[in-house]
Amino acid sequence: MGPLFPNGVIAGGWDYVVAVLIGVAFGFILEASGFSSSRNIVGVFYGYNFVVLRVFFTAVIVAMVGLLYFNYFGILDLTKIFILPTYLGPMILGGVIMGVGFIMGGFCPGTSFTAIAIGKLDAVAYLAGLYLGMAGFTMAYPYIADFFNSGYLGHITLTQITGIPAHWFAFTFTVIALAVFWGVLGIEKRIRKNMTDYKF
Amino acid sequence: MKRIYIFLTAFMFLLAFGTLFFNETNKPEQIEPQKLLMEIVRPGRYVTTDHVAKMIIQNNPSLEIIDVRNENEFNNYSLPKAINIPLDSLLNKNNLLYFGIPDMKVVFISNDAIAADQAWVFIKRLGFKNTFVMKGGLNHWMETIIEPQAPEQTEPATALDTYAFRQGARMYFTGGKAEISEPSKINVQVRKRKKTNVVAGGC
Repeated sequence: MGPLFPNGVIAGGWDYVVAVLIGVAFGFILEASGFSSSRNIVGVFYGYNFVVLRVFFTAVIVAMVGLLYFNYFGILDLTKIFILPTYLGPMILGGVIMGVGFIMGGFCPGTSFTAIAIGKLDAVAYLAGLYLGMAGFTMAYPYIADFFNSGYLGHITLTQITGIPAHWFAFTFTVIALAVFWGVLGIEKRIRKNMTDYKF
Repeated sequence: MKRIYIFLTAFMFLLAFGTLFFNETNKPEQIEPQKLLMEIVRPGRYVTTDHVAKMIIQNNPSLEIIDVRNENEFNNYSLPKAINIPLDSLLNKNNLLYFGIPDMKVVFISNDAIAADQAWVFIKRLGFKNTFVMKGGLNHWMETIIEPQAPEQTEPATALDTYAFRQGARMYFTGGKAEISEPSKINVQVRKRKKTNVVAGGC
């Protein structure tokens, strides 16, 4: 049956409507998980709050295992889904910049919008910086275009590179994620014991 | 709170563990939809009843006739050496062994060409090559091979040749007598020009 749009189950004109609905649901879950607080988010770097890690790892393993089951039962054809193309060097650098921005600003782009939605001023400043950065990137693009487009590997997956079936990756990643969940619970407890005041 | 964490962890672990038992090869390989469509549009899959008759008579070892009608119809009448695989059991594992044999030409037959065409699409979709459909099915077989109609005198020589072959084939398949076509007896009337004394034109 799926993917719904490429297979025409949902007509093409509805993609923006579906995108808005999914966006609303995503924003709601982010806010409900406490992602609108920058202290919550950066807590993962200081070790007193691992909610980011837990929420995102849960989302990843549920989606990953769920997709494999969908594919197996014929509900979704995994060969038809879009896979983001890999530009190895630029992606590593982008990840580093993103991480630095994450720890400095206390938000990632999505969570900054949920924080603005509940009226956080630091998120407004963050968003101003985000747009400034985008403008800067756009103007500097001619100078960095060569690097930006380098290291192209195509629409590849780990299964294609290594030849190991996808379910082995899914299983290994799930085991690691579950172990990390229980590990960080202990870290959280020990660090919070020594914190005098901790408010979200 | 702790208890639900333990339950969810165990549940997630079991689900992920279950994926390890997915057998990658349990899905039949299929050809690309575009490729299938191109093959369906192409008329090259049809073979004529004459061609099939010739191959049967020559005892061509590469011919494999698959009759996709039900068992009753098959027992009632079918072509010699045809194998009966009803359409609804075509994709059974044992029946699929008949396809994809190197150098074998599979010809599907049914009463008309529709059921045979459906069988052809199923088999083509699984990627098997060298599969054909007998054009017009057994109905056309009856019309052309078993009860061939004599062509008009004015038809081209190839039609007469075909008719001669069909009569021979009819003998082969039915054991009946064929009318041997003798050179046609046409009374040629010679018209003699009447003699006249009048000078008829000329330059």
